[in-house]
Amino acid sequence: MNDASTNRPESLWAIAWQQLRRKQIAMICLAILVAYAGIWLYAEGNFWSAKLRGVTPNYRISNYAIRNQPPSATHWLGTNYAGRDNVSQIVQGTRIAFEIALLTSCIVIPIGFALGALAGFFGRKIDTGIVYLYSVVGSVPGILLITAISYVVRGAVERSPAMQTVTRYADSGLLAVCIGMGFTGWVGLCRLIRAEYLKHRERQYVLAARAIGVRPAAIMFRHIAPNVAHLIIINFSLSFPGLILTEAVLSYLGVGIANEPSWGAIINDAKQRLWLGNWWELAGATAAMFFLVLALNLFGDALRDALDPKLRTAETKTA
Amino acid sequence: MIAYILRRIISVAPIALGVLLVTFLLFRVIGGNPAYRIAGKNATPAKIAQISHARGYDLPYFLNFEKFPQQLFHAQFPRLARNILRGDFGESLTSKMRVSQLLRDGVLPSLCVTTPLFFIELILAVALALLAAYYRDTWIDRSLVVLAVMAMSISSLVYIMVAQYWLASEWRLFPVWGFEGPQYLILPVLIGTVAGTGGTLRFYRTVMLDEMYQDYVRTARAKGVSPAKILFSHVLRNALIPILTNVIVALPFLYTGSLLLESFFGIPGLGRLLVSAISNGDEDVIFAETFIGAVLFVLANTLTDIAYTWADPRIRIK
Amino acid sequence: MSVLRWLTIAVMAATFAGASASGAQLRDNTLYSVGADFKGFDPADSGDTVSAAMISRVYEGLLEYAYLDHPYRAEPRLAEALPEVSADGLTYTFHLKKGVHFSDDLCFPSGKGREVTAEDFVYSFTRILNPKLESTGDWIFINHVAGAKEWVQAGNLTVKIPGFVAVDRYTLQIKLRQPYPQLIWVLTMPYAFVVPHEAIEYYGREFRRHPVGTGPYVLKDWRFNYRVEFVKNPTFSGQTYPATGELDDRAAGLLEDAGKPLPLLDRIVDYEISEFYTVWQMFLGGQLASTGISKDYFEKVINPQFELSDALQKRGVRLYKTPNMDLWYIAFNMKDPTIGDSTDPAVAAKHRKLRQAFASAIDVPTYCTVIHNNRDTPANTILPPGVAGYTTKPYAYQFDRQRAKKLIAEAGYPNGKDATGHPLRLTMISAGAGSTDARQQAEFFAEQLRAIGVDLVVQQLSFAEYLRREHDGEAQIVYAGWIIDYPDGQNFMQLLYGPNKAPGVNFCNYQNPEFDRLYEKVLTMQDCPERSALYAQMSDIAIADCPWALMTYSLSYGLFQPWFQNYKPHAFPYPNAKFYKVKPH
Repeated sequence: MNDASTNRPESLWAIAWQQLRRKQIAMICLAILVAYAGIWLYAEGNFWSAKLRGVTPNYRISNYAIRNQPPSATHWLGTNYAGRDNVSQIVQGTRIAFEIALLTSCIVIPIGFALGALAGFFGRKIDTGIVYLYSVVGSVPGILLITAISYVVRGAVERSPAMQTVTRYADSGLLAVCIGMGFTGWVGLCRLIRAEYLKHRERQYVLAARAIGVRPAAIMFRHIAPNVAHLIIINFSLSFPGLILTEAVLSYLGVGIANEPSWGAIINDAKQRLWLGNWWELAGATAAMFFLVLALNLFGDALRDALDPKLRTAETKTA
Repeated sequence: MIAYILRRIISVAPIALGVLLVTFLLFRVIGGNPAYRIAGKNATPAKIAQISHARGYDLPYFLNFEKFPQQLFHAQFPRLARNILRGDFGESLTSKMRVSQLLRDGVLPSLCVTTPLFFIELILAVALALLAAYYRDTWIDRSLVVLAVMAMSISSLVYIMVAQYWLASEWRLFPVWGFEGPQYLILPVLIGTVAGTGGTLRFYRTVMLDEMYQDYVRTARAKGVSPAKILFSHVLRNALIPILTNVIVALPFLYTGSLLLESFFGIPGLGRLLVSAISNGDEDVIFAETFIGAVLFVLANTLTDIAYTWADPRIRIK
Repeated sequence: MSVLRWLTIAVMAATFAGASASGAQLRDNTLYSVGADFKGFDPADSGDTVSAAMISRVYEGLLEYAYLDHPYRAEPRLAEALPEVSADGLTYTFHLKKGVHFSDDLCFPSGKGREVTAEDFVYSFTRILNPKLESTGDWIFINHVAGAKEWVQAGNLTVKIPGFVAVDRYTLQIKLRQPYPQLIWVLTMPYAFVVPHEAIEYYGREFRRHPVGTGPYVLKDWRFNYRVEFVKNPTFSGQTYPATGELDDRAAGLLEDAGKPLPLLDRIVDYEISEFYTVWQMFLGGQLASTGISKDYFEKVINPQFELSDALQKRGVRLYKTPNMDLWYIAFNMKDPTIGDSTDPAVAAKHRKLRQAFASAIDVPTYCTVIHNNRDTPANTILPPGVAGYTTKPYAYQFDRQRAKKLIAEAGYPNGKDATGHPLRLTMISAGAGSTDARQQAEFFAEQLRAIGVDLVVQQLSFAEYLRREHDGEAQIVYAGWIIDYPDGQNFMQLLYGPNKAPGVNFCNYQNPEFDRLYEKVLTMQDCPERSALYAQMSDIAIADCPWALMTYSLSYGLFQPWFQNYKPHAFPYPNAKFYKVKPH
């Protein structure tokens, strides 16, 4: 942190990091998140190496001789209906969870940011139009809209010849769920960004830039954007857990991921065998989901406290 | 003020129409002609054409230029919008029953679950939030927050499965399924409370802490007002506005019911109706439920805005 | 009926029915059972098995199946006797029983049920042909009854259909365009049940909620999407429990109630439960007395010898196995440019090899044992066992991975690779989105095809979407099932008859002139060995062309609490609840 260029004020990020480091819970959560990210990368490697070599990845090879086994030394969480190791299924579930979060964010962030910035910066008719758009999207019951979009997208993706190459590498159900959640999820971010742009529009530095004739696009993206970028990070970390939980519900409604072991799919499978006393499958997937969501929630909170100036001023008052 | 209220209420209409348009686009335009579903497994092309014609599925989607100008609006979407605005929600494609009848039948069971759930959750969350605010930055506060976040981090599906299996089926503490009497509501409400209180508690705690740092609290403390008194007569009173907002915005969900709880526990409410409508592609039911849900949601939001303006004179009416 | 696997569970449960554990409820002789997605009491809309069972409790028709007899035979219900058929097979004359009344209802001027007359049948049959009603059952008459098609096309509802004639108060004639041996069977279906015009006029749209029939039960209370409650119809009379049955029936205790007036139960309550998980918990808890068995429950319930596990045997639970008389198959779209038929014989032959490769690539015996836990047997002909025309001839494309690899190479895809070097990509649709069974099944198919290098994408659709895609005739491959409507092979053969192509029932668009010629020939033939031989021949033709890869015939397994009596499995069990009995326990 003690950078050589000392006369530069410390950046928001640096201050935030110092704040975070002081919080024990936040650091524990960060460690958990790093561990999950490691598992995710391992699972990606496993998945892609098989995919590129054109073979069946080992987690998908079924062995009908050892179906529904209880936990043992070789299979810590037993095996599932097709004799696949539950641990490897849950590990792949981690990959799916991260892929969902990242892909969805790839839709949410550009849409939410661009529309929010446009509305807040230009105001007037553009603002009215965008506010109308997000009021409409925000008023449709969320799960219904996601379900409908996912159904439609999956059908379209699977039928269109143009998408054949894409679906060779990505599960069409996964794409559908992400697009469904993406096209409903941008509303929150858009609201936040719009409000920030409304504020910044009137700030001195923006007025100054305008006065010297900087183009509006440049002001929007080069001048204001860096000052509101932290909101994207906060929004991402706080919406990640929601996406994972939503995927589980979508699986139950039948629009989840079709051919890959997402946590939602594992939980729905496990339901069938619960009455046989086969609790480990449910417990394993639930635990995997629980710790990730918990860590994300707590870390997201800490991050928000660290990055959002408003709450920080509140804290300094107590000091 | 009255002009403002009126203007806000009128602004509900375009949003409601927009919501209807989105649902229509998704289900009819991309989802396809429902005549195949109605005609059944032994359908002939003639029969499908006949059903499409009788129900207007063969009309253009938005505007009918062939019939310009007299019947420009003789098209699918304008017809749907007109019918719904008239309060005619059509009939279910599968059961052929009036949708308005299905909605009437479903409201009460939904309310039987959501109303107790709503009040228990509200009282519990506010009480715990006060506790957390009172003992802020002690282990009580911290463990309450962590507990709340932990409760939020488990999928509601898991709560339902585990509770239904162990509490109801294995230990026989509650009925497994059904809607025969009050005892059938205990488990769904219990699960809803456990799954839902965490988030609400966290929100209310933030609201109260925000108030705790306000100047008037400091002044009161400086004057020697007891902490309990500050909490109940100052903080709680001022926190009421955001709490009320949250409550009003949640009201429409009382009507729509809970999808998961109703379908697992066999409560014949609107949530269960919607789940089966989604899986059966029962359009008119979906259109009606979405539309009503959206209108209530927008109305509730408008109501909060109005309440804010009324309660807090600092907020200017634009 | 093209109802799918996950539905069969619910269906079985609905038709098997159940009883309650609590003594208080049993003292009033009540049966508690399970259904799902019940659509309403309109015989014109009885296409799904749950609705058919519910409607059959309240309504009746001219004929019904004899409860205990195999092979199935129709016996008179509201008719005095089986019909007199004219020598040319074109006129059927029914004499109605006298003194049969509709149940008492407000729709009748006096509130008292009116006597059923021949005019009521004319009215009811004409009703399901009325295009405004959009009945799914018009097919039972439309192409067969004299003047029916013309009547529908003309659209003048005030004139009468010449084929339905009420000769006098108790005599009904049905006149046909051409011989229609299946008429006897379709008249047992709920579509052909009799409804009083008063009820339809009085209740209008609400008719579906206010059934007024002649059947053994009347509706007491219906809460949509939750439960349906029936009580004994006080004016029902004239039917007694059968006195004779098959050889084993007496030993099985099925004849103990011979001669007793029906129905035996005072009250029936059907719950609409869609989750099998919940049904099973209620069965174990004694809240229901019968249930089907879903796949994941099978292993613990049934031991490897296909007997009931000890724990359930100790409780006196009984197990019934019945073949469902259905066929599950994978249909290839014959219009598809990759796998379909072609005008160029060389191309057509290559595509046929591809279909045959697909069929031989799937290990159906393992599919039965592993994915369905032996609730199925591999299919070998177009007709299931029990239907005249079924032969035990082995299937031409039994699982043989080497042969599949050879065939696919001959089809122009060495190692499953297409011209670009990528694995050949095929797309199959199946129903049951969200169901675990459907997902596991899809994974199995994909795995089998991957073994010969083909990339099979399985799209799991909601049932509504599946029906639409199936009937629009565009899907490349469809996983489909057909549950028999009546015990006649024609019911299966129509699925491959050229003129029935999409959006008709032949959604794979199969067309073979020889097959079509034979179909038209058997259509007017009465059941005889010659006709059965023709069915077998048609089956061979279709298997040689391979528009379908045959998968399985399914078995129903049902579990019954000991106090539930008089149950006998039946492929068309809809009206059978009136024979069931619950013993105090």
